[in-house]
Amino acid sequence: MTDIMKFSVPGKAEYVGTVRLAISSLANCAGFDIEAVEDIKVAVSEACTNVVCHGKCNCEETYEVACELGDGRIIISVIDRAGGYDLAKYQRPVVDCDCPKEGGLGIFIIKALMDEVDIFSELGMGTRIKMVKYLNRF
Amino acid sequence: MSLQMQSSYNKELDLWEVTAKGEVDVSTAPKLREYLDGAYREKRADIMLRLDELTYIDSTGLGVIIGAYGRMQETENRITLINPKENVKKLLSITSLDRILCSDH
Repeated sequence: MTDIMKFSVPGKAEYVGTVRLAISSLANCAGFDIEAVEDIKVAVSEACTNVVCHGKCNCEETYEVACELGDGRIIISVIDRAGGYDLAKYQRPVVDCDCPKEGGLGIFIIKALMDEVDIFSELGMGTRIKMVKYLNRF
Repeated sequence: MSLQMQSSYNKELDLWEVTAKGEVDVSTAPKLREYLDGAYREKRADIMLRLDELTYIDSTGLGVIIGAYGRMQETENRITLINPKENVKKLLSITSLDRILCSDH
């Protein structure tokens, strides 16, 4: 049995914080510990920031944040219609040197914090980032 | 969900003491950039960025700090992060930025 909750969010930077608060409250109620709540909070925020920063999402466009709770896990999908991008062109940021690059860290951070991450992007359409975190996974 | 910034130049130590309180994300990162760049533009010196009361940062904030780090390298000045909270430390560690930005590394 899973519960699904969906948020429709204007593509403006100022609402990323609101989504972050809502999702951390949800994860907290679902029984995730403080560190996991923090991980989920950052990952969701990064996914939303990607829409706001990289998306061609203008302010009238909205994107969707869908959460599925149950079966000992939380699944969060951030779905936009901002035109998509070529996943093959995504490069892991070089962080292991003395000359780190500004930008490009978002997806890298999401992958480091969540248990499963899937990114589907279709050029001309949009992008869906699906993130899963399990309860009590050590 | 706001960011309060403060900066002052310490003449004796020849460095900027900058304090960030609150949250840095995509909506507040420009303010962080404004303070870091503003300080360095006014006087080329090292920056000590105090994070004791910074409760949240993400890639946009880290990007701003990396940008400042890069620009400051021209004059061999450094930006050092002081006292980050555990959640901020975790992100610095994941991205390996602690090695170049934190004093205890």
